[in-house]
Amino acid sequence: MTVSNNLQVSGGNKSGTRINKLIAVIKKKLRIMRRDYLLYLLALPGICYFLLFKYVPMYGITIAFRDYNIFKGLAASPFVGFKIFEKLFNLPAFNRALVNTIIISFGKIIFGFPAPIILSLMINEVVNTKYKKFVQTSVLLPSFISWVVIAGIMYVLFSPNSGVIKGVASFFGYTGRITDIMGNKSSFRYVIVISDIWKNMGMGTIVYLAAISGIDQQLYEAAIIDGAGKWRQMWHVTLASLRPTIVILLIMRVGGILNAGFDQIFTLYNPLVYEVSEIIDTYVYKIGILQHNFSIATAAGLFKSVIGLVMVLLTNAISKKIDENSGLI
Amino acid sequence: MKKTASKKIKTPVSTVIGRVIIYFILGLLAFLTLYPFWHVIMYSISASEAAMEGGLFFFPRKPTLAAYSLLARNKLIFTTYKNSIIRTVVGTCINLIMTASIAYPLSVKRFIGRNFWTMVIFFTMLFSGGMIPTYLLVKELGLLNSMWALILPGSISAYNMFIMRNFFQSIPPSLEESANIDGATPPRILVSIIMPLSKPVFAALALFYGIAHWNSYIDCVLYIDDLSKQVLQVYLRSMINVTAFGQVGEAADRAAIAGTGMSEETMKMAAISASVIPIIIIYPWLQKYYVKGVLIGSIKG
Repeated sequence: MTVSNNLQVSGGNKSGTRINKLIAVIKKKLRIMRRDYLLYLLALPGICYFLLFKYVPMYGITIAFRDYNIFKGLAASPFVGFKIFEKLFNLPAFNRALVNTIIISFGKIIFGFPAPIILSLMINEVVNTKYKKFVQTSVLLPSFISWVVIAGIMYVLFSPNSGVIKGVASFFGYTGRITDIMGNKSSFRYVIVISDIWKNMGMGTIVYLAAISGIDQQLYEAAIIDGAGKWRQMWHVTLASLRPTIVILLIMRVGGILNAGFDQIFTLYNPLVYEVSEIIDTYVYKIGILQHNFSIATAAGLFKSVIGLVMVLLTNAISKKIDENSGLI
Repeated sequence: MKKTASKKIKTPVSTVIGRVIIYFILGLLAFLTLYPFWHVIMYSISASEAAMEGGLFFFPRKPTLAAYSLLARNKLIFTTYKNSIIRTVVGTCINLIMTASIAYPLSVKRFIGRNFWTMVIFFTMLFSGGMIPTYLLVKELGLLNSMWALILPGSISAYNMFIMRNFFQSIPPSLEESANIDGATPPRILVSIIMPLSKPVFAALALFYGIAHWNSYIDCVLYIDDLSKQVLQVYLRSMINVTAFGQVGEAADRAAIAGTGMSEETMKMAAISASVIPIIIIYPWLQKYYVKGVLIGSIKG
């Protein structure tokens, strides 16, 4: 630290006064930092972590612009500009993955985003504390279980040979063929969306229920005096009070529009339904890790990251236009 | 408060009907979330030929623990179970140490470059290099096929770091400042002043990190090839896949099952139960602290 300090001072003497002032400031700051060096030493591992494991891969994105050769290394691979992206967007498999990602993700937002809100409103109506607690505790359980396990459970539950559907159907005297909903192109996307809601609904209610319990009871009393019934109270008081929470969660959700659920789909899907459920993440995995097409896979991943960033900034800007105080950033 | 109100004022019939409907729907939802787990456990302790008939399982059919005794002979499940526990414990400890050591300096006003580093870290929440560059980095670092590949690349979650920093900032800064003037070193202040006051946030983050480690699957598939170093989730997956859609599972598993008269389904259910039952046992405790933790994060963050 001292060496670099001296260097800067000697370099500064030859230059103008403005630079001298700047150097004086830096010198002073360095002196303060040195006196407090343990504080900076403490921050060092964390900073190194983010630089190494987050920013080095960001530099690694340049693979998408190079004809990457794993034996030559990143620096020696020639630049090819946007050629890889051109190639990527002409690949039918990638376009299919993109479309699937958007469809599945939209399904999850449209049906999955309101689910915890509605559930919270319903739980809030329960007067009996024990029942309330029971419902809350039950719906939260799947959040703690991995998709691997849930996929395993689903295969058994929906098995056409020995599953619940078959047993119930035969109980009612139906002996025909049972469709395998896990291996059926027309039903598989519903399976993805519904199982996602099933797993994550409980988690969502935690925040909403806390926000609901924080609402000033006087607002309800005022609404009742104004003649508002249950529905109007729900709309004008509860939902209105939840709006900031809803907006922030929606921004985060929309920002992840191209995150259709890697873990979930990777564990649930199978060759019969690749066509309707191959998403960008699983595509990147197949192309990159399994087939070693690193440039194309990185390009697909980069496309996803960029869209994610744009979506966050966009939704954030829109929500700020509507309400100054809302928004994430 | 509501309870007394509803007793005093006679509730109108429409409200009662509405309440009945809501209670019914919620009961149904609770059933739908709990039943699948019950089903799996009951299936695993039923005799295979009876279980194959399908349908709802409220009670085991011809109860037997044969599947579990077969499972207990499987060495790999113990190895992977042990690996999962090691990963979760070591990983969570490293997570907490790393997160606290960066969250504390960033919570102190006199830290020069605080805003700059905060932005640097925040940006990683919005944009990332993606799967392939990260994979290549881990490979370059020579971490492939070691436990460190599962621990180091995720040693700090930016989101959790901000939860912790915000919690630290809610502690009156005068405490930290006076300790600093008295000559306590920053690590000392962190350990003996900040941490005792931040137990709730440490508990919450330990849970967040721990659950993520336990359930993590993709990174194990990416970074670990050697089955003896693999974690439980991946091994479960390979067991579940034994027959599913013709994908090939572990040959040894199929050989073990063959000739016992037990269906592969029952075996799978036993394996799944073995991984789920411990979670269900600690679940009441887990969910209590988890809910608290989420609230710390959401209110202050």
